Amino acid sequence: MSDRNTVVCVEGLVKDYHSGFGLRAKRVLRGVSFTVREGEIFGFVGPNGAGKTTTLKVLMGLIRADAGRATVLGHDVRETEYRNQVGFLPEAPYFYDYLTGREFLHFYARVCGVSRSSRSRRVDTLLEWVGLAHAAKERLRTYSKGMLQRIGIAQALVHDPKVVFLDEPMSGLDPIGRKEIRDLIVRLQSEGKTVFMNTHILSDVEMLCHRVAIIVQGAVRYEGDPHAVLANDERDAEIVLDGVSPAFGESLEMRFEGGLRGVGDRIEVLLPHKQVNDVLGDALAAGAHVVSVTPRRASLEDLFLTTVEQGARR
Amino acid sequence: MKTLDRILAIAMNTVREAIRNRVLYTLLFFALALIGTGVLVSTLSYVESERILQDVGFAAIRVFAVAIAIFVGIGLVHREVDRRTIFTILSKPISRSEFLLGKYLGLLLTLWLQIVVMGLGFVGVSWLAGAPVGLVHLAALGLIGAEIAVVVAIALLFSAFTSPMLASLFTAALWLIGHLSRDLRNLGAQSQLDGVKRATELLYRTLPDLGAFDLTMHATRAVPIAISDVAFPLLYAAGYATLLLLAATWIFERRDFR
Repeated sequence: MSDRNTVVCVEGLVKDYHSGFGLRAKRVLRGVSFTVREGEIFGFVGPNGAGKTTTLKVLMGLIRADAGRATVLGHDVRETEYRNQVGFLPEAPYFYDYLTGREFLHFYARVCGVSRSSRSRRVDTLLEWVGLAHAAKERLRTYSKGMLQRIGIAQALVHDPKVVFLDEPMSGLDPIGRKEIRDLIVRLQSEGKTVFMNTHILSDVEMLCHRVAIIVQGAVRYEGDPHAVLANDERDAEIVLDGVSPAFGESLEMRFEGGLRGVGDRIEVLLPHKQVNDVLGDALAAGAHVVSVTPRRASLEDLFLTTVEQGARR
Repeated sequence: MKTLDRILAIAMNTVREAIRNRVLYTLLFFALALIGTGVLVSTLSYVESERILQDVGFAAIRVFAVAIAIFVGIGLVHREVDRRTIFTILSKPISRSEFLLGKYLGLLLTLWLQIVVMGLGFVGVSWLAGAPVGLVHLAALGLIGAEIAVVVAIALLFSAFTSPMLASLFTAALWLIGHLSRDLRNLGAQSQLDGVKRATELLYRTLPDLGAFDLTMHATRAVPIAISDVAFPLLYAAGYATLLLLAATWIFERRDFR
């Protein structure tokens, strides 16, 4: 399952949550398995309640799995010392708001064992890096949500980890805040860090992630490079024709009922990719002008929705 | 060395959080006010007014130290879980036992600082009223500090697995029972039934014997004390608090932070 490049290896994780004095159990993870490779941005995607955060908490040692195995950098996630190579930003984080930005990072640096001599330099570098040097002396309770996310990323990086785990890093941010975090994530990856990102914002995943795993109802239903899948999945094409004669328009309407839209002699046809050449040939023969031919690729959203639907049917 | 530094980092952050908490100052203000009112209370009596003054002072320090331990201490631990700050802490290279120990030491240091401040108020009021203050008084204050070490460990144990409200109730109840456990044993000893005797003795051995930390009588009535009167309670506090912390760690290690 794992090789030398594997940074995170999760095999058959099972977790039950108990309630009602432990009598009622709800299975939230049903054998979750996936791997994350060195240096990639990995998206862990799924609908609300699918088990994303639970999986991440198992990886961070906050929750103990009932069965299965999870390793990060070859270490069992229940170990403590290896975590000086791991950074974590929880979902909607709350930090010690009575601390200033600098005090906050100093505290985490000390907990992580950053030496006293290099602590101040590291903190100043990170404050610059996340664009919060100007707010270093302000208490966290005065920070905006975007600033808190950025200081949160800084605390995850304070000990210069090899792997960074981010739980819904873009959640609740405005477009500017989201772009700032996206840029930070790309920068992390360009500096050689492996980034694991829990999210349900698919546009961010499509933009950032090299590989994804889609989790549905506590089990991973898809794992791989979504771009490769989507590139091979040119299912439809849209042809726009001008100067279409009524007779040719009628023949198209008979062939592609429901896939046709048009005003006057201008027609848009949505058709299977394999029929494009035939229709183009017919259109030119009928004296029509070809305005455009656009392949309609499936989006990550399509892949996600299909996977979720299939997962829900199992 | 790294372990110690991590524990100290958590402890110092806990102290910083506590001293930036307004509830702490409110309680401290009332404690100092109560110590001060001892002067008024003592004027109500023609005899032993100095003793009454110091009785009120010691009681105020003890009660408010426990109140701060419960209201501030339990909140500090619970907030870490409730506001999920514990997620980022425990994702660092720090064990749960180190975190808990750091929290304990931070709380204890905060409370000892409060006891020093209240003790200074007590000494000041005693000096103004002309009441004597000697080594026995300092020993009595020191043992209040030792008692608080046990109370904070109790609070931490309960807050490791239950809600702040229940943890507060349980801690307050155990503190009260702890001050009555000697009476319970004495009461049982007078029973004709062996079973009752054994049960009360077992309860006495299991429950905290907080009466061991009370030297108020000795201090206010100038009764001389032996070294063992201080040394034994200090050892007892260290042992009892250690056992409680081990139990708290055992529970905390097994807890899921959902």
